[in-house]
Amino acid sequence: MTKDAVDTTSPPDQELVRLMWQEARDLIKRLEGTTVRRLSVQAGEYKVEIELGGYVEAAPASYSGPVAMGDRGEPARVAAVADTRVPIVAPLVGTFFGAPQPGARPFVEVGDMVEPGQTVAIVEAMKIMNQVASEHRGRVAEIAVKDGEWVEFQQPLVYLEPQEGGA
Amino acid sequence: MFQKVLIANRGEIALRVARACRELGVRSVAVYSTADAESAVVRFADEAVHIGPAPTGRSYLNVPSIIGAALKTGADAIHPGYGFLSEDPYFAEICAEHGITFIGPPPEVMERVGNKATARELMQKAGLPLLPGTVEPVRSADEAQHIADDIGYPVIIKAAAGGGGRGMSVVYRREDLVRSYQTTRATAQAVFKDSAVYIERYLQMARHVEVQLMCDQYGHGIYFGERDCSVQRRHQKLIEEAPSIHLDTNGHKAIGEAAVNGALSIGYTNAGTMEFLLDEQGNFYFMEMNARIQVEHPVTEAITGVDLIQQMLLVAAGEPFSFTQADIVPRGHAIECRINAEDPDNNFAPAAGRLDTFVVPGGPWTRVDSHCFAGWMVSPFYDSLIAKLIVWAPDRERAINRMQRALSEFQVAGHGVRTTIPFHQRVMAQPDFRRGDVFTDFVERHMFQNAAA
Repeated sequence: MTKDAVDTTSPPDQELVRLMWQEARDLIKRLEGTTVRRLSVQAGEYKVEIELGGYVEAAPASYSGPVAMGDRGEPARVAAVADTRVPIVAPLVGTFFGAPQPGARPFVEVGDMVEPGQTVAIVEAMKIMNQVASEHRGRVAEIAVKDGEWVEFQQPLVYLEPQEGGA
Repeated sequence: MFQKVLIANRGEIALRVARACRELGVRSVAVYSTADAESAVVRFADEAVHIGPAPTGRSYLNVPSIIGAALKTGADAIHPGYGFLSEDPYFAEICAEHGITFIGPPPEVMERVGNKATARELMQKAGLPLLPGTVEPVRSADEAQHIADDIGYPVIIKAAAGGGGRGMSVVYRREDLVRSYQTTRATAQAVFKDSAVYIERYLQMARHVEVQLMCDQYGHGIYFGERDCSVQRRHQKLIEEAPSIHLDTNGHKAIGEAAVNGALSIGYTNAGTMEFLLDEQGNFYFMEMNARIQVEHPVTEAITGVDLIQQMLLVAAGEPFSFTQADIVPRGHAIECRINAEDPDNNFAPAAGRLDTFVVPGGPWTRVDSHCFAGWMVSPFYDSLIAKLIVWAPDRERAINRMQRALSEFQVAGHGVRTTIPFHQRVMAQPDFRRGDVFTDFVERHMFQNAAA
């Protein structure tokens, strides 16, 4: 949990903790679209650790703070699709949106080329918009979910046809 | 009554809640992590939603995903089980904001009883007996020293935000007080994010007795007898019984009424447990209140015939009690053994793995609450509880005999898997236990030399 990310082993200096959180949030913002897997902030020994991983995903929403936590550790469990398509899956339970706001141009449409790190959808959970980014280079073959539909964790949202030179 | 209840938990309690829903004609929704995709409750429930990966921070403690799962499936209530989000007032509040009924007490009441120091203060005001000690957090090492000197040793230092047996230390000698005070504070800060501690007299020859109670939304409270949970290891309960054999008729009534009055005085609703220490003279002292259903609730169900989980749903749905205190007449004696995937001969180290064999006992008055089956992977990610074995008999001696018989039938095997079954067999045969001569130090005092033998 995000709450656990602050680990103070000596009596906490509230002002210091507050400053470090602010710093950490700024850092996360600057790292948006990259691959933050874990953030750890320690006030006792003035330590901030940001773990980068090979998995591109939006920071999963958490009710106590906008910090990416944990690691996926397991391959996506996907309904068998007997082809070479690669799914981009939901990072958490929420509502799927294919565009940044109602009426706006969709992030991607069938036939579009997608680059690693590119946002392809939003999954909204408790009013927090979680951007879902692709980890591959490829052409959009299918958008598997309708706007406003609820999705589960790891449900395929978009299928890509991988292209040469993909990640 | 609700149309559909989402169960924000896993393991045996998730299955227990789903069963209660089914019997009430309420649809159930399981939520599961990737590690629990093949779990018993996922198969049993009417619907299931995948909420996150194995680590609990992103699945069973992931509030947005759980709320999302409830909205996705149209659940109108959430049962939190025990552990995880069950005593998180913020979660209860978020449920309310989304129009979902949280099956438990109101968030503000939960918050107050969740802080042990505040709970002590409230219960003192309600007239419950307390052990000598502070009702407010101790502010400095100096103050701690003065308080402990006043109370007299041994004392116990407890984290105000503590729970699950963590964040407590017993101090026997004056010279150890300051160091213990500091380490308990540091532990409390690290584990519970709150360094507040309080101090009370430590009873060496005490029994852990708790009262199961429930309050409806109309100011009625009922107690369902007590449970004796003195067989503990490092404040973790291993065996629970109901009722306590160390209270007479007046004692049962006094402790039950005290608990209900305390709960009603703070506007408590739904199921809760008041924990007390009982001394050798039969005096009881309020310790803390748990604002949730507890692991050991089946022993109470066994002696009262009340399905507590169903009753929780009814109370949360706004039903008044359909019975009165006079209708609750405990009968006989019940015992529960917690079967954990732990090695009792190796300091109860976790011993998880895939279960090749899982054969549960049967027979008269024998109940097994378990989510396990042959082929199930006991995951190291979660609690080691694999089954609760509960027996009932007309009296305690026959209940112990029945438990011995049931334990002998229980077969659990798998690579790397060890269970606490042999430990329970040793306890059931132990003369002091059979006599009922059990205090909270029973395991440390009697069981470790046996374990080493």
